[in-house]
Amino acid sequence: MIHLYRVSKIYEGIPALREITVSVDKGEFVFVTGPSGAGKTTLLKILFCAEHADEGQIIIQGMNTFRLNSSSIPYLRRNMGFVFQDYKLLPHKTVFENIALALKVIGAPHGDIERRALLSLKKVGMEKKEHLTPLKLSGGEQQRVAIARALVNEPQILLADEPTGNLDPQSGQEVFRLFKDINMKGTTVIVATHDWETVQKMQRRIVAMERGKIMSDTKDPVLDRAAMTKFKQEPSSR
Amino acid sequence: MRGYGPIYTVMEAYHGLRANSLVNLLATGTISMAMLIVGFFLVVFLNLQAAVGAMGERLEVSVYLKDGLTAQEMDFILTRIKSEPGVKKAVFLPKAEALAMLKKELKGQEALMEGLGENPLPDSYEVTVDAKYADTVKMEVLTKKISKFFGVEDVSYGRQGVAVLERILKLVTYGGIALAVLLGVTVVFIISNSVRLALYSRGQEIELMQWIGATRWFIMGPFLVEGMLVVVLGTSLSVGILAVLFHALPQEVVLFLSGPGGLEFLPPPVIAYMIGGGGALGLVGGLVSVNKFLE
Repeated sequence: MIHLYRVSKIYEGIPALREITVSVDKGEFVFVTGPSGAGKTTLLKILFCAEHADEGQIIIQGMNTFRLNSSSIPYLRRNMGFVFQDYKLLPHKTVFENIALALKVIGAPHGDIERRALLSLKKVGMEKKEHLTPLKLSGGEQQRVAIARALVNEPQILLADEPTGNLDPQSGQEVFRLFKDINMKGTTVIVATHDWETVQKMQRRIVAMERGKIMSDTKDPVLDRAAMTKFKQEPSSR
Repeated sequence: MRGYGPIYTVMEAYHGLRANSLVNLLATGTISMAMLIVGFFLVVFLNLQAAVGAMGERLEVSVYLKDGLTAQEMDFILTRIKSEPGVKKAVFLPKAEALAMLKKELKGQEALMEGLGENPLPDSYEVTVDAKYADTVKMEVLTKKISKFFGVEDVSYGRQGVAVLERILKLVTYGGIALAVLLGVTVVFIISNSVRLALYSRGQEIELMQWIGATRWFIMGPFLVEGMLVVVLGTSLSVGILAVLFHALPQEVVLFLSGPGGLEFLPPPVIAYMIGGGGALGLVGGLVSVNKFLE
């Protein structure tokens, strides 16, 4: 579903990604972990075509993103949901309107919008708060609304960048439980996170990064053995 | 945008106009002032053009004869005039009759005629020319030829009046075009600035829309419609103000300014072009800002 081959990205002379090669299968759940500056966010941004890689090949759902022109990017994004650390909800719109916007953007028929938005809110248990504005919700609730928005178009891939970074541990657990449910229904989920404890508990594929490189991948036993030893020695840094 | 799109675009543009009402109100007011100047020039231009056209359509040529011609000589001149291609009719106007006509035209200003003594007007032939010969070049050739006939003092067909009006018309046309270009650029500048303010106030929403798969046109649409609506409103307002001012002109001023066809307001097609053109300028202004912002 997603293939990256020797992908590099440099910001003002400083490498953010160094020859990253990784593949993610359909329906996989992948954690991307690593300290700040490891390149997790850059990697997700490149997958979401918010950044262009300087080198390498990126194939997403059979499309080579290097060959995509800017007018095709919105259509690629419609097959992906993105969950942000800061939720990115519009404060002056209600919960329902925030979800509906994602449907309006893709030109969904007017009659479908209400049904699909409410269904998506129901999936994250926020259907009773559809009339509230985001500022009246807790951080955990806001993140659930953001997840509902990411899911409303039934994307095949869900990307999340530090989705629990602003949440208390309990809300964080709820968010991860939601991701697990979403993944169980067949959506490929890629989560960039610092939350090492949850990552270990969830027992899913882990891609650990450091200084723009993949240091370990639990799917790749050779790469994994050496790196996991290092990770276990320095748990406090992540 | 499929089906749902246009309604969404117009509604979003309406919400955008309301959200930045003060900025849009100021932009509408400024644009209406600019378009008022354009409208004023158009009124002057169209009336002047009509006057020039009407004068050019006067197909009568006056052939003034020298004094002391015999009846035979006058008949000979008449025959020569009638034999010229394009001449439809030629009627003799004796000097006494010409004076009587002049007196009639100057009724109420008889003082001008005092002290004239002997009738200064010459005998003349009033020549009617075929409509096919109505253009300036053919008339010029004809009058030049007749003026060289034996016994002819002068020939006139009001060319001096037409020439003066044509010069003024040229001046108004060039001045108007220069002013319209200048004001057009101003309108684009005003709109691009008001749209830019709207874009910055909704930057968060635009960024989010890009993340969730909105196409460029989906994002641009409401802002372009917003820009167009502001100019269309401003132009409509300027036409309204111009109409009120036009109809409030005192009768004396109207009579003074009137051409042969009377003083006319802007015809509906011209108003439609003004509003349509204004809308196009609004579109350009919007495009300038939105493109810059999205890049």
